[in-house]
Amino acid sequence: MAQRPQKKLFSRKKVCRFCSDKEQNIDYKDVKTLRGFVSERGKIIPRRIVGTCATHQRQLCEAIKRARHIALLPYSGSILG
Amino acid sequence: MRRYETIYILRPTLGEEQINTLIDNTTKIIQSDNGLIIESDKWGIKKLAYPIKKEILGYYVLCDFAGTPEAVAEIERKFRIDDSVLRYLTVKTADVITTEEAETATAELATRKAAAKQASATEQEDDLEDESDDDSDSIED
Repeated sequence: MAQRPQKKLFSRKKVCRFCSDKEQNIDYKDVKTLRGFVSERGKIIPRRIVGTCATHQRQLCEAIKRARHIALLPYSGSILG
Repeated sequence: MRRYETIYILRPTLGEEQINTLIDNTTKIIQSDNGLIIESDKWGIKKLAYPIKKEILGYYVLCDFAGTPEAVAEIERKFRIDDSVLRYLTVKTADVITTEEAETATAELATRKAAAKQASATEQEDDLEDESDDDSDSIED
């Protein structure tokens, strides 16, 4: 029986942006950085695509949700309106 | 005392006086409980990402302070009753902060702001110099 070839791994070894760059802080008020982790529709991009580590992804999610509560980021829909 | 950060959004149609009285009331509540205001920043009118209570613009105010949990409860109670406050969010940034630490933080933030203002001011001067050179060429005709 021919076995299925292994699924192609999308990620070459990606480094977490926040682990390598110690100066970058995850802040819910910093809309510019947060926008890089949110899709065009306003959804949070999964960690395996962006390459963040687990701890920072959790902090990011919390920051994005807080920013959504204060209407700095939309819950859904493009940011351009 | 704990260190908190509060952001609240006010209706954009309020006048300057009303906004200032609101901000003063919140600072009074903090200070009556022996709190310290580290920073009070008015972001001004911004477009909201989605309409809140039929408003598409909002006046953002940020307040970074050291205070007691009772003061925070009182502030939030007042915000809930007030019609002109659209949203508020209070976040605890540090569990314990002494008065000395709070004062040093205030001083640090003030110096950082002053430095940032100076940096942006010098940038503007450079831009103006470049523009004036272009103007002189066109006037010759």
